[in-house]
Amino acid sequence: MKIRSANQGDIQTLELSGELDYHSSPELREKLTELTAKQAPKILVDLGGVEYMDSSGIATFVEAFQKAKRYQGRLVLAALTTTVRGVFEIAKLDSIFEIAPTVAEGAERLGAKV
Amino acid sequence: MEKRFELTASSEVLSPFRKELRQILNQAGWEKKTAEEILLAADEALTNIIRHAYEGKPGTMTVSVLTDEEKIEIVLEDRGKKFDPTRVPSPELPRHQPGGLGIHFIRTIMDQMIYDDQGPAGNRLRLIKHKKKSEKGR
Repeated sequence: MKIRSANQGDIQTLELSGELDYHSSPELREKLTELTAKQAPKILVDLGGVEYMDSSGIATFVEAFQKAKRYQGRLVLAALTTTVRGVFEIAKLDSIFEIAPTVAEGAERLGAKV
Repeated sequence: MEKRFELTASSEVLSPFRKELRQILNQAGWEKKTAEEILLAADEALTNIIRHAYEGKPGTMTVSVLTDEEKIEIVLEDRGKKFDPTRVPSPELPRHQPGGLGIHFIRTIMDQMIYDDQGPAGNRLRLIKHKKKSEKGR
């Protein structure tokens, strides 16, 4: 799994690619914990390059989502592949998370100027 | 067709195993969406062995994959601590706390999840899924 971090104004973006499973999720957890520890107000996760995700990946996002919520931060997940979207659906979490169809739309929802 | 895998109980083996299983599922004519779900169920069962049966300690896991015209059966065996996933209650969804979804995924995806008590040590879990009409004879 590859993680690329970037800033777009006050939006912190994490661009993920590869497979997100029990082996790779600790690395993502570390990145998200870094962001939530410094109370990043807007986190955008680009999942467009993630071909596979299991419950460890879901758990990582649930944890970050709960942490961000505590300080009124926002976490938006964008560009989910069909496979990854399916995993959120089985977990019935697709209605809990803020999910944007594209990264541009995710950024727009977080107030980025387009 | 039957294929057997001897794996080290470590998270590094998950991705290469999925690659092998994906190939078997493609060859056996499963639709892509169902194949990805079966991969997820097998992956969650292996993750449970690593986390709960061996608790991160070294160990081995054996996976037998049996495919025919009608179904797939994935048999997972280990020599770790007793862990019967069929006795884990279903979580209330959506879960607002991290974790507790792996067994729910297996239950939702597979038609049957059968736990065989292996005597004093170890576990044997059988996961079975039947093909849809459209997947047969492909």
